[in-house]
Amino acid sequence: MQYVISILLIIFLEISHANVQTEKPVPDFNLLNSFGEEVKLSEFRGQTVILEWTNHGCPFVAKHYKTNNMQNTQTAAKEANVVWLSIISSAPGTQGFVTNEEANELTKSRNAFPSHVLQDTEGSVGKAYGAKTTPHMYLIDKAGILKYQGAIDDAGGRGFMFKDLSEAKNYIISALIELNKGTEITDPITKPYGCSVKYKS
Amino acid sequence: MINIIFKKPYKSLSVKLSLFLILLFTASSSLWSDSFFQASDSTIEITSESKTMEKGDELLLGINFKLSPGWHTYWKNPGDAGEGASITWQLPKGFKASAILWPGPEAIPVEPLMTFGYEDEITLLTKIRALDAAVFPATLKAKVSWYTCKDICVPQEANLELTIQNGKKLNTFFANELSAVFLDLPKKLPNKHRVEILDSNYFLQMELEGNTPVSSAYFFPEEYGLSSYSKEQVLEINKNSLSLQIPQSEVDLKLQNFAGVLLLDNQESRTFFNVNLDLNNNQKQESLSISDLVLTVIFAFIGGLILNAMPCVFPILSIKILNFVEQSEGSKEKMIQHGLSFSAGVLVTFLSIAGLLLLLKSGGESIGWGYQLQSPLMVTLLIYLFVGIGITFMSNLVLGGQLAQLGNINQGYGDITSSFLTGVLAVIVASPCTAPFMGSAVGIALLQPGLITIAIFVSLGMGFAAPYLILSFYPSLLRVLPKPGAWMETLKQFMAFPMWGSALWLTWVLSGQVQTDSVLMVLLGALFIALALWLLEKNQSSDGFVKWLSLSAVTLLLGAALWLAPTDYENAEQNKASDLNSYSPELLESLLAENKPVFLNFTADWCITCKVNEAIVLNQVSIKNALRSKNIVYLKADWTRKDETIANKLAEYGRTGVPLYLLYSSEGTPLILPELLTEDMLLSYIESIE
Repeated sequence: MQYVISILLIIFLEISHANVQTEKPVPDFNLLNSFGEEVKLSEFRGQTVILEWTNHGCPFVAKHYKTNNMQNTQTAAKEANVVWLSIISSAPGTQGFVTNEEANELTKSRNAFPSHVLQDTEGSVGKAYGAKTTPHMYLIDKAGILKYQGAIDDAGGRGFMFKDLSEAKNYIISALIELNKGTEITDPITKPYGCSVKYKS
Repeated sequence: MINIIFKKPYKSLSVKLSLFLILLFTASSSLWSDSFFQASDSTIEITSESKTMEKGDELLLGINFKLSPGWHTYWKNPGDAGEGASITWQLPKGFKASAILWPGPEAIPVEPLMTFGYEDEITLLTKIRALDAAVFPATLKAKVSWYTCKDICVPQEANLELTIQNGKKLNTFFANELSAVFLDLPKKLPNKHRVEILDSNYFLQMELEGNTPVSSAYFFPEEYGLSSYSKEQVLEINKNSLSLQIPQSEVDLKLQNFAGVLLLDNQESRTFFNVNLDLNNNQKQESLSISDLVLTVIFAFIGGLILNAMPCVFPILSIKILNFVEQSEGSKEKMIQHGLSFSAGVLVTFLSIAGLLLLLKSGGESIGWGYQLQSPLMVTLLIYLFVGIGITFMSNLVLGGQLAQLGNINQGYGDITSSFLTGVLAVIVASPCTAPFMGSAVGIALLQPGLITIAIFVSLGMGFAAPYLILSFYPSLLRVLPKPGAWMETLKQFMAFPMWGSALWLTWVLSGQVQTDSVLMVLLGALFIALALWLLEKNQSSDGFVKWLSLSAVTLLLGAALWLAPTDYENAEQNKASDLNSYSPELLESLLAENKPVFLNFTADWCITCKVNEAIVLNQVSIKNALRSKNIVYLKADWTRKDETIANKLAEYGRTGVPLYLLYSSEGTPLILPELLTEDMLLSYIESIE
């Protein structure tokens, strides 16, 4: 039996990681934050990390901030000692691209509190993670394993603009609770919704 | 008249002028008030095929979007980003609205992403039905929200309304347009079609009747998590069929259905078809029939029973039962409790093994490993395993003998939990003897779906626990039990033969997958394994240099056996050097002259349909063996590089491309087989050959 299992294991090691996959380790990255400092994902090993792809000009993102839905999620994360990285993958000249000053101003005016706002103007991190929309959320556990990817809540789908976000099921908060309890994440993958990430073409 | 103005290229009008026109429009036409809305870079309008209807009638309504150049709005599945329009109807009592009827979309790339939607102009249809309770005049109100997107997205919303009077339906100006949109909605796909999954791609294949001209095709998935939106879909058109290769989604949501809309384009017209196929039916899993399943479960149970008679388990049996008797101090109830918790322990352990296996298997499947289970490498490893098991049964080789001593660990604990733990331990303790048996169970289970694996292991566990359970109910039976002795060794040795039988059967399977030479290599590998195990047995008690020498020899032999294992399918016919199965007109002629039946496969490496057919049908062991049993010669005409003689042969059948499958009976008249082969279909064709 050990023979069969060891063969199985050998084949397992050959798994290639094309895209980020839930329950698999995430790729590391190194980006400059809105204060010009280098931020490396692996620095946060030992802490839970949330990645939020954002674009302040996108109406989906705007609604999440205007209704305080995003800030409330950030509060929940902060209380759970979770690192929150807002990532901007908008290329220069496209919607959502901001200078560091503008980024900090946005954080202030929106009463948001990400741990860092990261500039991914080349879009390399966004593409490595397969970020498609703003918002697009990822939850990474203390060991650097992806636990959740997808939408922030279940308000997506047609008629989003009419929906009351306070009634939606917040996938990030649920996943954080479940992660804390050590139970399985109920919805580990959901369909992300929002504007397309404005990648450099 | 005003409506006509709005039908015209409205986009070119300046905002001011259009605003003025809206004012004019709303002011001048009370009947159509609020039927129109101007938003940035888009206008929407509610239209109806008739302004009158009667109870029981169905009315076709449209929400018409006109978009400025370069702007688009979305389909029900927007692709990587965006969102389709939503229409919320507020209807008076007695009216009912259908869901939105979505016209077929366009693929609108937003590098590096892909979205699905509409450019320029689109009408989303809704059917409104007037029930008996309907009261006229009725004002139908629609709250519409949608996105107009270019490089950025602008959310829009509008409230539109339309008043319907009672009366016979009378076509309005919009009636023709609405019915045209309705007729162009995605239809049921009349052609025979199927979907296959190979190497992270879906292959949507359909038969084409006559000369249906198709110049391009595109599949729009209905749900997230089915296919990758941004990766290219590759179309291949054959004479009577087409194959569309659609990359699977990076996100695996294990959807049950392959559902969406297929666009077929023939330069003149674009037609959309609904596709909804069950993905489970298409999975190539060789699942057992009910009677096979019952048989497997019974054999697993018997296997579990036999485990008890293994030399390192059997002595434990009576000891354990005597333990129960002691601990129960004559109480029959307690005795039964011990028996039950012991059995529970055994079952839980077997279930854990099954769970572990399933975990490994699902991990393997997620990388498309399920497919390789039928690969020659896997079959070879199983052959080695069974040969090895047989040898250990025949010899006095004790693998992991130390484990057996664990059995004494928890003697002395007197409660029910300890009986449970004893059950767990019994399985582990017995493993030196049972591992070979378990090996075969694992081998079978790996090839079966999860539930069957669990069934096999539960029956094994039940078989293993059964004697204990029965004896705990009827301790007096203990006297009838045979004493441990030489008969056990004889039984163990006898069990080697079924193991070798299994190896023989697997060799037959392998012979359908690789060439004779490779089969011989595998048999040589099996010989090496036998030699290695013999060496191990001979030097069991030796030490020092002799032990070191024998161990390195064993390692070398095992390594050599592995090295000899074939790693991939070898289609004998692919081997040009042998040329045995490679098509040539002369070879075909001589075979037919000898009245031999021939299966002729025209293929090419670049032909998607050919590759799918080969993977799911022609490479199947069942097909190879069916061909062999009917003495049908398999010939392959490989057109990967253009070849004059093959082209000529194709031309004989009016073909300019591959695939083409010809089945010659001994009379020499070929049957032209369909381009999309299935295993059952081909088997029945082969069956019909005399």
